[in-house]
Amino acid sequence: MSKILMKGNEVIAEAAVKAGCKYFFGYPITPQSELVAYMARRLPEVGGLFLQAESEVAAVNMVYGAAATGKRVMTSSSSPGFSLKQEGISFLVGSELPAFLVNVMRGGPGLGNIMPAQSDYFQITKGGGHGDYFCPVYAPASLQEIVDLTQVAFDTADKYRTPVIMAADGMLGQMMEPVEFFETEAPELPEKTWAATGERGDGGPKVVNSLHLDAGSLYQHNKHLNEKMETMRENEQRFESQFTEDADFVVVAYGTVSRIAMSAVKEARAKGVKVGMIRPITLWPFPQKPFEETRERAKAYIAVEMSAGQMIEDVRLAVNGHAPVEFYGKNGGIVPTSDEILEKILAVAGGDHK
Amino acid sequence: MNLKGRIHIFTGHFGSGKTELSINFAKYLRQTHEHVAVDDLDVINPYFRTRDVDDFFRENKIELIAPPKRLTMADLPVVSPEIYRVLQDEKYQVIVDAGGDKDGAKALGQYYHDWKDLHPEVLFVLNANRPYVSTLEGALFTISEIEDSARMKVTGIINNSNVGKLTTLDDIKKGHELSLKVSDKLGIPLLCTTISESLKEETKQFAKDHNVFYIKRFMKLEWE
Repeated sequence: MSKILMKGNEVIAEAAVKAGCKYFFGYPITPQSELVAYMARRLPEVGGLFLQAESEVAAVNMVYGAAATGKRVMTSSSSPGFSLKQEGISFLVGSELPAFLVNVMRGGPGLGNIMPAQSDYFQITKGGGHGDYFCPVYAPASLQEIVDLTQVAFDTADKYRTPVIMAADGMLGQMMEPVEFFETEAPELPEKTWAATGERGDGGPKVVNSLHLDAGSLYQHNKHLNEKMETMRENEQRFESQFTEDADFVVVAYGTVSRIAMSAVKEARAKGVKVGMIRPITLWPFPQKPFEETRERAKAYIAVEMSAGQMIEDVRLAVNGHAPVEFYGKNGGIVPTSDEILEKILAVAGGDHK
Repeated sequence: MNLKGRIHIFTGHFGSGKTELSINFAKYLRQTHEHVAVDDLDVINPYFRTRDVDDFFRENKIELIAPPKRLTMADLPVVSPEIYRVLQDEKYQVIVDAGGDKDGAKALGQYYHDWKDLHPEVLFVLNANRPYVSTLEGALFTISEIEDSARMKVTGIINNSNVGKLTTLDDIKKGHELSLKVSDKLGIPLLCTTISESLKEETKQFAKDHNVFYIKRFMKLEWE
């Protein structure tokens, strides 16, 4: 297939359709409404179903229902709407239901504004709803990467019977870039023997539920969930490292911010500063390996985010006291510029770099 | 490039490049006209709109008609009433940048009674490398939807086929062929092909054989 020009929100939707998503339940909110609009037109073309729910709460519970039948299903929203879905996400985790959930982040808290932000990091990587859980979180930095990660996200959801989140910011949702869709081979995934698709005398009704009244039973259920999360933590980390082999300083950034930070890193390199970059592609599990590889040598890390400083906490845990961790960020819908990031790199590096 | 009359409306499918063309054509018209106004009627896009380059307009003495600054990020489908100031004023060349698809074109429909006597040029911007308009059928369907909700007929086509930075001459030619088919089917002219000025060298021959208007990109991302 040849390259076409698409908007980020459309790419998420089309990639989901290509990954076999048949159901979409959602509610429009800027800056992700194009995703909803695209699905409304696209899903009926592939024999799927699009339904605009009466609210975000309704949408996520419809996702629960469709997921319980074993079908690939998704919902999408932006920050305030994603907050509304938290209860449902906790229920999906408790009931071990795979689902694809998209948050195209905007400025918060509260209604905030419609401009790009990354300030939902805590919410999406540390559970977000009630109970002991984490969901895998994928953070693409380009429209082409959305294509690849959407497929990975749906597969991971099925493999571990868990909801997965795609974290984008408004800029990624709204910008346009060329993309190409490839036919991918379907990976081997466990059969969905748990799916509630109607009884046919094949062993009694299937119950999809997150209720465990007996403490011992809930303890065992949690133990099982935690073991699953531990496996994901070990096997599902994704990241990209650039220029880190000889780096004295390492910038850590994800999503679109990593692209801005990369221009700053290249400029700093041109000025003779040995700076590299770690780009977490999964925000949970947060990649440990690139930090273990660099933290003995690096003099400092700089977390760059469109937030007041959230991912920096995971960077600190991964660096584990081996080096100081600095921060540069802008929030409220203001996008940090590469000049500002460069200035920060030079300030941390010290010395005279002209 | 031969723009006709005083009022030039840019319509098209979502993401076809209307805003970039509006800015470029405003700059072009300003070379020969003292009074040029751009009316931002985009009620669809939250980012990357003509109102986001107001500094450029100020420097080039082009009047931007857009919702007041305090409403720029209001996420409300607001249009400025100031359009009436320039619509009837013979001095003005007016470019209207409508939002994409039938939903964006709806904002045009409310001026039905004004359009009737003003006979504006209604340009359909086509990028053949976008979903849903890469076939003749898809393009015609989109045009008919836009015409219904804008309450007027498209009078010309602009081929703006591109794949962003990866655009090749083949992409442009493919779009040109599709535009000709649309032009043929509807009996309206293909006015020109717009090409990024960064592709001047590769498209030299094409520009000799066809009507080409080179454009500059204004809607840029922080890392570009």
